[in-house]
Amino acid sequence: MRRFELNEPATLEEAIGLLDPDDPGVRALAGATALIPMMKSGVFQPTRLVSLRRLDGELRGVHEENDGGLRIGAMTTLSELERSPRLRASVPVITRALRTLSNVRIRNVATLGGHLGHGDPHMDLPPILMTLNARVRAVGPKGHRWIDMTDLAVGYYQTTLERDELIADVHVPGQPSGVCTAYAKFTALSADDWPTVGVAAWLQIEASQITEARIAISAATERPVRVTATEAILTGGPPTTETFATAAEAAADTAETLADIRGSAAYKREMIRVYVRRALAQALAVRDTGN
Amino acid sequence: MATREAEPLSATTSAPIEAPAEDAPDRDHPRFREIGRSIPRLESAAKVNGTVEYIHNLRLPGMLHGRIHRSTVPHGRIVRIDIAAALEVEGVHAVITAEEVLKLVPHPYYGPAFHDQPILALGKVRHVGEPVAIALADDPHAAEQAADLIAVEYEPLEAVFDEVAAASPGAPVIHDVLKPAGTFTDLKHLAGRSGTNVALDTHVRRGDVEQAFASADHVFEHTFRTGKVMHATFEPMVSLAEPQGPSGLTIHTASQSPSFVRSEISRLLGWPENRVRVRTAFLGGGLGAKLYIKLEAMVAVCALLLRKPVRIALTMDEQFYTITKHGATVRMKTGVRRDGRMTARTVETYWNGGAYADIGPRVSQKSGFTAAGPYDIEHVALDNYAVYTNEPPAGALRGFGISQLVWAYERQADIIARALGIDPIEFRRRNAIRNGQPFATGTTVSGLEIDAVLDRLAERMAWHEPFDRGTGTTRRGRGIAIGLKACVAPTSSAAAVHVYGDGSCAVQCSTVDMGQASDTTMAQIAAEVLGIPTTGVHVVHPDTDVTPYDMATLGSRSTFHMGNAVRRAAEDARDQLLRIAAGASGLAVVDLECVDQAIRSKPGVPKFVGMTFREAMLARFGMQAGTIVGFGSYTPSYVKPDAQTGQSTDITPFWMLGGAGAEIAVDCETGRIEVTKLVNVADVGRAINPASVERQLTGAAIMQLGFTLFEEMVFSDGQVVNASLADYKIPGMLDIPQDLQAAFVEVPHRDGPFGAKGVGETGIFSPAPAIANALYDAVGVTTFDMPLTPERVLRALREMERRPLENDR
Repeated sequence: MRRFELNEPATLEEAIGLLDPDDPGVRALAGATALIPMMKSGVFQPTRLVSLRRLDGELRGVHEENDGGLRIGAMTTLSELERSPRLRASVPVITRALRTLSNVRIRNVATLGGHLGHGDPHMDLPPILMTLNARVRAVGPKGHRWIDMTDLAVGYYQTTLERDELIADVHVPGQPSGVCTAYAKFTALSADDWPTVGVAAWLQIEASQITEARIAISAATERPVRVTATEAILTGGPPTTETFATAAEAAADTAETLADIRGSAAYKREMIRVYVRRALAQALAVRDTGN
Repeated sequence: MATREAEPLSATTSAPIEAPAEDAPDRDHPRFREIGRSIPRLESAAKVNGTVEYIHNLRLPGMLHGRIHRSTVPHGRIVRIDIAAALEVEGVHAVITAEEVLKLVPHPYYGPAFHDQPILALGKVRHVGEPVAIALADDPHAAEQAADLIAVEYEPLEAVFDEVAAASPGAPVIHDVLKPAGTFTDLKHLAGRSGTNVALDTHVRRGDVEQAFASADHVFEHTFRTGKVMHATFEPMVSLAEPQGPSGLTIHTASQSPSFVRSEISRLLGWPENRVRVRTAFLGGGLGAKLYIKLEAMVAVCALLLRKPVRIALTMDEQFYTITKHGATVRMKTGVRRDGRMTARTVETYWNGGAYADIGPRVSQKSGFTAAGPYDIEHVALDNYAVYTNEPPAGALRGFGISQLVWAYERQADIIARALGIDPIEFRRRNAIRNGQPFATGTTVSGLEIDAVLDRLAERMAWHEPFDRGTGTTRRGRGIAIGLKACVAPTSSAAAVHVYGDGSCAVQCSTVDMGQASDTTMAQIAAEVLGIPTTGVHVVHPDTDVTPYDMATLGSRSTFHMGNAVRRAAEDARDQLLRIAAGASGLAVVDLECVDQAIRSKPGVPKFVGMTFREAMLARFGMQAGTIVGFGSYTPSYVKPDAQTGQSTDITPFWMLGGAGAEIAVDCETGRIEVTKLVNVADVGRAINPASVERQLTGAAIMQLGFTLFEEMVFSDGQVVNASLADYKIPGMLDIPQDLQAAFVEVPHRDGPFGAKGVGETGIFSPAPAIANALYDAVGVTTFDMPLTPERVLRALREMERRPLENDR
């Protein structure tokens, strides 16, 4: 490890001022659960780290918005999210997913902003937030802009964020009534392993008909993606096992899976087929049990 | 099943052995006060509050930090090493390469069986990750940066990774000549042998296998494979060396074998052993990784060259390139009679030893002779090949090669039993070897409780009860397996028991407590003999200037070997105390005993009220002073096996038997196995500390669960693709079966201390085949390769259903 500069700015503006659009060695540091292992293994050699820990007050917490949505500060830890009654009341799918996200030691320090800004396709929350039509507010030297979660990740560990932009908070819109959601993931190695496949399902069902469907997959592909082919099959169809199976086929057929030590591309396609079906069935079960 | 232990003193009298004490803590073993009790570990509180010593935490004044620059190629000649940029880094004192090493050590090759491993790569490299140079700096980060800046140019050589390919003619040769350590007469014939990657081939021949195959009703032939895995000790390897004056050296090291480190470092330096002091502390896990020489030669050379203390501490990731468990290919052919009796078996095993022998040849030999399993098979031929490849070295890992063999013979046992329509437990009963019968090596088996283990397994698994086989896409199955190990021989242990002026006691031994609770076990043994509470015994940690020789803490040998040495040392100290009391009281030594923290006359000898140890010391020395030293050593008998046939009348001090039963649920859509119940049964002789025995069995079972289901080092051209705990996953709490049980059979062993046998490895033998046998039971797929990853299982399922998953890699 080489020498590097460590800054601990007190304000968001100061933090952004310390970032450098031209130097990939300058990175913001929040929970550090991703960056420190990268530094230890030599994958990332910082020239400057901008620690965000002193500005966590302004960027922390789950807040209700006037429009019925939630604003979640980027420095909120995953454990705080997990325990937030507001979050559980409005988007219980996130609360449920957090319980199996990595492990409690990671959740106690990892932050939502880091989780999203890192661009790692194996993260659990991006596909869920994509189906919730969530947006992130990125702040840079020229002010702030809104980015749809669907547009945040553009490639393997690549996001649309500029090097001198930071995620300030995440907006999760209020969910219409009658919506049922689920997140199902498959771990191939240990139980607390990175997911091999993650699938988020969001269904609006009226009178035994799916009026709107949003499906996102992650981990198996280079970035989390909405599966429009699957959504098209589901929309207007009945919420039945048969519909779900056909929809899952479409997801498996269209997904561009990547092989790694957790499975071949063919195996991951197979797991997408299984887990899209399971996520849809779980969403339906959530509606039926109200849980 | 308590037995009476003959006391050396009372045995000579005609008086009956004393009646059980009424307040005995253990009803089953009424004669014992400390043995057989689940006494909490002596160091528990200190471990929890963070005050126990680990070498990892040791800092010496003025020490330098060493960081290793490692080979990036699997096989290559070193053309040039450029250290200029590394030396420029602020805080760097030196960069050491083989050239500097040679100035101090003219023959810088080490190893427990072969002197083949250079302290730093000399001339060529033989695996990715091999140490080539060491950067030394005031600060570990500067050392790391400097190590990264060392530039090495290689001329690549053809590499070979597969153990069978490496043993075949025409394979690239990794070592020009074999260099067996001169101290072993059985390896002498290998010296100077060239043109081969087979470091050691050993053979067992009994009966006439060809004839037996010809007359067998069925012949089964399969090839089984296990991949490479790693110990993942949570305290990575760490060693520090400090020069002591002009002619001495102290090495502080997280080692399981301080005695070996002393003798090997002395040999390398050409010094007498008494100038090298090696000490250790608690280990944050050993598991076979921290044996022999790992970092010790590097820190010793660096410290002596720079005349400064030097510390080298590995990262978790570096451990993947340091020592591994052997991958193995096992070809097994078995002849069976119509009635299910096995009559002949040949086993050909290729052990992937990696680039340096380490203890690999002994793994292949000492475990290899059990390759036919715990069975009475008349005709046996076993061939074991310890093979060099261009992968990181393989050595000891909890079980010492046994689990690779059990995987093969217990998978095949189930395949045979199913083919013949015989219940798996019944099949094993029909073929089990029993006390009094000859083993494959010709050794008469004794002290092995195979029927009791099978009984207990059947009972704990409710084997003859109906079983829920699951529904839909979740199918359930169950399986069992048994595995056998012969404790390694020949080895030796020695111990001292000190009684101080105030009557307090200490055990001095070189057994390393690496989490297995050996301190408490040794204290219990000494306490039992001395009639004092276990908590009153201090156990001195290994320090070769202080503690006597021990071969090493490995192979489940410590309770048996060191336990016997400690027992004898305590008896020696006790007898000295009894003699003092005899002198003071006028009673005969045989009328006295040590009990309840005092020396008292035995029941029926009422004259003497008793004497505390302190009073005895006062009586002997006239003041609170002096020391009584009891000494004990233990070296079991051993007969070297015949070089051609592997036959020996006395090949092991004791046999270990471990059985496992597994119930699993298989997700037929993903191939993922959930182990819902895992039972381990061991034949332990006597449990000195039942809670520790249970934890050893359970810990080993969880470790093997990881190896069975998902742990595997994945290689690409000799590079470990998943060399970090982010991608090499080990079991966590959520992977542990809901129902995890350990049970043990206690039949005191004739030679064990209070009847105890070793137990550290027993729980690792059998879970893997038990789970794979359960997989067959659940869904009917036959597996030959470990681990049983979801993809491997799903592919097997889909093959069986004739709709295979496509191959894309």
